[in-house]
Amino acid sequence: MKETRVASAKRKRFINNTIVHIVLAILAVVWVFPILWVVLTSFRAEKGSYVSTFFPKSYTLANYARLFTDTTILNFPKMFGNTLFIAICSCILSTFYVLSVSYCLSRIKFKMRKPYMNMAMVLGLFPGFMSMVAVYFILKALGLSEGGLIRLALILCYSGGAGLGFQIAKGFFDTVPRAIDEAALIDGCTRWQIFYKITLPLSKPVIIYTVLTSFIGPWVDFIFAKVICRANADYYTVAIGLWRMLEKEYIDSWYTCFAAGAVLISIPIAALFMFLQRFYVDGMSGAVKG
Amino acid sequence: MKKCAAILMAAVTAAAAFLGGCSGGGTSSSGQGSVQHVRLMVWAPSEDQSIDSGQWLQKSCDAFAALHPEYDIEFIYGVADEASAASQVAQDPEASADVFMYANDNITTLTNAKAAAKFGGIYREQIESTSSQAIVDSVTLDGYLYGVPFTTNTWYMFYDKSVFTEEDVKSLDAMLEKGVVSFPFTNSWYLPAFYVGNGCTLFGDGTDEAAGVDFAGDKAVAITDYLVDLLANPNFVVDSDGSGMAGLRDGSIKAIFTGSWDAANIRDILGDNMGVAAPPTFMLNGEEKQMMAYAGSKAIGVNATSDYMLPAIQLAIYLGSAEAQQLHYELRNVVPCNTELLARPEVANDMLVAAQNDTFDRTSILQPFVAAMSNCWSPVENMGKGIRNKTVTHDNAAEQTQAMNDAMNSNGIS
Repeated sequence: MKETRVASAKRKRFINNTIVHIVLAILAVVWVFPILWVVLTSFRAEKGSYVSTFFPKSYTLANYARLFTDTTILNFPKMFGNTLFIAICSCILSTFYVLSVSYCLSRIKFKMRKPYMNMAMVLGLFPGFMSMVAVYFILKALGLSEGGLIRLALILCYSGGAGLGFQIAKGFFDTVPRAIDEAALIDGCTRWQIFYKITLPLSKPVIIYTVLTSFIGPWVDFIFAKVICRANADYYTVAIGLWRMLEKEYIDSWYTCFAAGAVLISIPIAALFMFLQRFYVDGMSGAVKG
Repeated sequence: MKKCAAILMAAVTAAAAFLGGCSGGGTSSSGQGSVQHVRLMVWAPSEDQSIDSGQWLQKSCDAFAALHPEYDIEFIYGVADEASAASQVAQDPEASADVFMYANDNITTLTNAKAAAKFGGIYREQIESTSSQAIVDSVTLDGYLYGVPFTTNTWYMFYDKSVFTEEDVKSLDAMLEKGVVSFPFTNSWYLPAFYVGNGCTLFGDGTDEAAGVDFAGDKAVAITDYLVDLLANPNFVVDSDGSGMAGLRDGSIKAIFTGSWDAANIRDILGDNMGVAAPPTFMLNGEEKQMMAYAGSKAIGVNATSDYMLPAIQLAIYLGSAEAQQLHYELRNVVPCNTELLARPEVANDMLVAAQNDTFDRTSILQPFVAAMSNCWSPVENMGKGIRNKTVTHDNAAEQTQAMNDAMNSNGIS
């Protein structure tokens, strides 16, 4: 009697697990499918935007080569360089802003603290591109909408509002015990020293998170780049370039290159994540004893 | 405090002097008889500027500068293709090109932003004397001329000569008997060709917004019924997302409908077998009807806020002249529309030029650019998709056609 019950429980669990795994496998396929398709398309040798088979009939690296050699109409290397430069600069600036604002809001008590947090909350509810036209005219009035200064304009756009996105980092800093700050204060640290010598080393996970999000934002942005770059093709970012490859004049010959470009732009993000993920461990272990 | 105020004053004075200097710069240099310094920003598609396709823009601008020694011109080139230039210019006319190229269906975008200069006097006469009336009309709004047309913009038919004869391609029915034909059935730039072919009208002659769209009644229902049957024909394939081009490439499709932008790719696929012709006729209940494409033009516009209006207008006229159009044709196969140029045998005998102009002159209507035209795209697209998905059938054709007509005549709000 007992044995049968055990056996039936085992069977039940087996059936349950099987169903769960099948559902998960289907979901995984659905999720990976588009990515796999883009990667396959980037190696496809047949031209054109439409194919009747899922797997390419023949494979080639020429799509990647063309992105870097056929640069007279769509200069991909230049766009890639522009985007990388803009993304790195905005990443550094916004990470600094976010961490500083979060630290202040977490550690310093001042009158405007609560009102500021409420205001940031409300402003954060509006989509950023609502201010697009106003931002364009402000940049134009400052003379940043022409020539090489466009890069500066984009960096300012992407990092300027970063201070509003402090919530997650502030939440993390709140969990760092104040006892550590006090101990440091007694040892003669200034606030700035506490910030960069004590709090930051303990907050690696949230720094990584901030760096990643503030890099990806400018890296994939299309709207601001389109509004600000306008006809200045020398300062186009990758997003604009990829979009142009799908216009009716280019789509037939550039479609597979578009897929190759899409694969290439995922590389810096993936590399950044892989490099940083080892810091994604608990930065708090062993900070406070007893 | 005092020191701060002094610094502020100094800064303001400096700024004022700087701004004053800027605004004065343009006028002070335009002395009588001397060479005038001119700064012209010119926007064109990237192909017009790339070394691979011969740098048409740079060559033409240099030629213009050589013709006008009275100007010392500094050219600044920007990239904006004809389809998007109008919206770019309308976004901020003051910071946009002095001379740009746009597709004529965007003309209201430009005029609403007060961004397009009107051509008058000798310049207008010059344009009118070298272009056909239809093409001049395509860039005229309320009696004002807003650009120098340099090419027509429409779609027609590319086919495999080894399958269809020149006689076959005059009739869609003859073609369907011999080979597979693909048509962008779900694209509302193409599908109205059948409706217009059977007497349906858009805004009267295309300019009368109050007249509305007439895609209703028996004439339209007959077309919906015809399209349901056409889709059932095994030799007819819907072209969407580039499937027509892919079919041409693998040989499963023998004729597609598209425009000059795909010509080079099709020549790669078909080689000497490439044939080009105006849209064919089709048999509707025993009567022969002509498919009528939407046609427009591409033109060179001048920014109404340009600081150097006269040189800008002269440059626009030059870029649309026979000489520049010929260079454009030689370098990039841009089909010319200048009447003298079209009369030259080497141009007239070009298959692509002949087909595009035949379509423009004979088998097309001018695509209306009244504001209400923007309501006309989605309903037609939905009709095409409905027929493809078999939700529109012979049984409900009348009702669905009426619904399409109602939607085309409504902005969806009131």
